[in-house]
Amino acid sequence: MPPLVSSSPGTSARSPDAGHTVGATWTDAPCPVLVVDRHGGLVDINGAARRLLPGAVSGDWLHEHVPSWLCDAHQRIGEGLRGTRAEPLNGPIKERHFEAHPTAAGDGDVVWWLVDDTDRRLAQDALTDAQTRTEILSEVSSTLLSTLNVPRCMEVTAAMAAEHLADAAVLVAPPKGRRHPLTYATRGGPATQVTRLVDVSGVPGLTEALQGFPPVPARWINPADLPDWVTPEGFAGPAGSVIVAPLPGHGVPAGALILMRASTEQSFTEGEEVFARLFAARAGAALSAARLYSEQATVTATLMRELLPPPLSSVNGVEYAGGYRAAKDHERVGGDFYDVHPGSDPSQDTLVVLGDVAGKGLDAAVLTGKIRNTLHALLPLTDDHQRVLDLLNGALLTSRHTRFATLVLASVRRRGSRARLRLTSAGHLPPLILRADGTVEEVHARGTLVGALPAVTAHTVETVLAPGETCLLYTDGITEARGGPLGDEFYGEHRLRRALSECAGLPAEAVVERVQMLAAQWLGAGRHDDMAAVAISVPRTGPLTVLNGRSPARTRSST
Amino acid sequence: MTDPHPTEFALTVLRTAGTLTVRVGGELDHDTSDGLTDTVVRHLITDEAGLSDVRLDFRDLTWIDSSGLTALLMVRRRTEAVGATLHLDHRPDVLERLLRLTNVLEHLTAPVTAAETRDRRLRTVRSDG
Repeated sequence: MPPLVSSSPGTSARSPDAGHTVGATWTDAPCPVLVVDRHGGLVDINGAARRLLPGAVSGDWLHEHVPSWLCDAHQRIGEGLRGTRAEPLNGPIKERHFEAHPTAAGDGDVVWWLVDDTDRRLAQDALTDAQTRTEILSEVSSTLLSTLNVPRCMEVTAAMAAEHLADAAVLVAPPKGRRHPLTYATRGGPATQVTRLVDVSGVPGLTEALQGFPPVPARWINPADLPDWVTPEGFAGPAGSVIVAPLPGHGVPAGALILMRASTEQSFTEGEEVFARLFAARAGAALSAARLYSEQATVTATLMRELLPPPLSSVNGVEYAGGYRAAKDHERVGGDFYDVHPGSDPSQDTLVVLGDVAGKGLDAAVLTGKIRNTLHALLPLTDDHQRVLDLLNGALLTSRHTRFATLVLASVRRRGSRARLRLTSAGHLPPLILRADGTVEEVHARGTLVGALPAVTAHTVETVLAPGETCLLYTDGITEARGGPLGDEFYGEHRLRRALSECAGLPAEAVVERVQMLAAQWLGAGRHDDMAAVAISVPRTGPLTVLNGRSPARTRSST
Repeated sequence: MTDPHPTEFALTVLRTAGTLTVRVGGELDHDTSDGLTDTVVRHLITDEAGLSDVRLDFRDLTWIDSSGLTALLMVRRRTEAVGATLHLDHRPDVLERLLRLTNVLEHLTAPVTAAETRDRRLRTVRSDG
């Protein structure tokens, strides 16, 4: 026996003085050691083996005390098949897990060294679990973050929860009015969404979860108490184990997740509950981002409807055309604005306003809305541009900021074949007038910007447009469009004037389109400010001219 | 031309007796104008001795837009409140044109009179408290 032991691997090698105490070593080994003869009879066992197999003594049969995997292995060795063994034998004995290492002894006896690897296996399983969960979490994040669509986010969350965490999942979103959007999913099935009037207090912990409180432990929830609305269609109920996890959002809860396992499955462990919480945190963050985005998009869309420039057309024998391009192409609204307020009849002035608010984006757009409304209210006073600007300035003045606006007012009235224009600039770029022969004139209408100073002054200029002539109002976004061959040059007033002179005789719409097109070409892909332009034209000929031309003439003669 | 950042915004502050000088370089626009307002306001608030003049030196200014002008209007409002006169020195063409077009040059650089007395009152109140 002793020579066998000294050649064996494993624990006995740890003995500091193997040669000296060789006879006692294997019996003192901390791992169970069994010496078994070729027939399967126990020859001897050590102390550790006796503790593992209480009652086993020399002379017993091996199969009386150990599971078949070890007996079979012993038998195979006896039959000389030992060489076929590729990896260590292993299997369970009495709720522990062992690797079995045989070494040959004399007389056909085999010494079985049993090494307990239960804990290593548990650790390995835990590691694999953790790796799988990390993978799932990263999949959750990447899948959810790729969409900003709220219903889609809820669908994905419920489906993934049913796939990885439970047999079925219900995502309860915060109520819209009194109804909760619910998303149901079962493992392998499609996710379905409904909005329903449900009593959330019927599910233990759900009310709290929807308010963002920490989750109630699964063991506190009695599956039998679940109301019917929670169980998704196609779920092989009844539920055996339930988790309610809050979906934490940015500041406000994004909803709650109810996870269910059928009673035939094992119930949720504590580790799984923690994992469900991690999953819910990821999903909640994504869902909340999607919700914030869609809310913002709605707000922007609502504001835009009010702030978008109006479509223009022909009014009282004068053509109007407008074009607008916001600084950020996706925003559609910005700091430039224009409006045409038609006179109630051809004897009345039509008021054209084009302006530019300092700043960009929504802030600027909101101020343009204020200006447009104020001017609308001041329409009866437009005989006196200075007075209109005074009142507008007073309405805009605030101690909070010095954000100002520059604008041009143009009062237009048809007179015979011509149109009379009264033009006033409040700190804005001077309007340009395109004569029938292609000459471009600048209108010297100067004045103070509005909205920042206690008082403003303005100077109104009168001019007349003959048939085929155009007055162009524009914002600095056009002249300050940076681009060109060198990429950083302003489009500039001189280029605008040259472009305009080539538009002689064109209808208003064509003039605006031409100007916008050239500025856009100059710009290329460059960054730009809001760009707006309005053209006021007297058509060259046409029945409309004659018809409307008479009307104001008659009115004038009668006054 | 070889400068990789030819239009980098920069503020240089110089404080002499009674006068705060801020040299504004680069582009004064939507992204940078708050920096100018904040800098001037900070000095106006922290200056114990009291300022009679605030000079903005624009010799290195390469560009100004409407947001930049908003900042100048705000600076003027704050200097007026403490009784200091605003000066806009070495105005490049781009600034000059903007100030003329919007008709605010006179307002911005007008000497402070009525407000000065009001401010003295304020200062008295402050020293009482």
